[in-house]
Amino acid sequence: MTSCAIVDIVQAALDPVAAIDFVSDPGFGGIALFAGRVRDLNHGRVVTGVSYDMFDALALRGFEAIAADAHAAFGPRLKLFIAHARGRLSVGDFAVVIAAGTPHRDEAFRACRQVIEAVKHSSPIWKQEHYADGDSVWSEGCSLCEASAPQADIEHGPHRHSP
Amino acid sequence: MKIELRLFGAFRDYDPSALVHLEVADDARVADVRAALDAHGRAQWPGFQPALLQRSALASEDAVLRDHETVPHDGRMAVLPPVSGG
Repeated sequence: MTSCAIVDIVQAALDPVAAIDFVSDPGFGGIALFAGRVRDLNHGRVVTGVSYDMFDALALRGFEAIAADAHAAFGPRLKLFIAHARGRLSVGDFAVVIAAGTPHRDEAFRACRQVIEAVKHSSPIWKQEHYADGDSVWSEGCSLCEASAPQADIEHGPHRHSP
Repeated sequence: MKIELRLFGAFRDYDPSALVHLEVADDARVADVRAALDAHGRAQWPGFQPALLQRSALASEDAVLRDHETVPHDGRMAVLPPVSGG
């Protein structure tokens, strides 16, 4: 079971508690959650906010494909929650929330990690950082031309990422 | 055939409408659309960076398309610069 969503910041904020609730199950002893937030500093520049642009239709299809890969890897009982924010976020806002629920913690950790890395590397989403000096810059990212598969190598991606 | 190409990310800075219309041959491949966009950018967009297009993918609403693939019948496509979600 999977919940995939794109949430416009004007409509609502991402809710990690809702993510935990969705992946909960009486038979599950492990829930792993990744919550990505907008931070106030990047490469030495003071960040005041981040705008996320995305190709909604393709992004949602990608989330579903990522979830299918995770279910293939960790079994049909896995419950997943995948949500990404769209629009102009402020420092501290949640940009992405991933949750995985499984009977044991090992699968939950691994599934959550696999999914967030795949979302970062393969989803048609673009981040523009806004700085205190008034400048705005689109972040460098992963080229989808160069990806040989939807999921890039978790440990050895093609370029440097912020955590 | 006519191509309606949506712009995302850094490409939005080149055209605030976030939409470009291109004309390609009826039997065009994705590589032909890429070449048409490159020509459009060089002619119409001050500050256009061809290297950004080289690192960008082209897509339909269903999938990322490789250069050898045929163009979608409805001509609706998007250019996807390197992604940076999360």
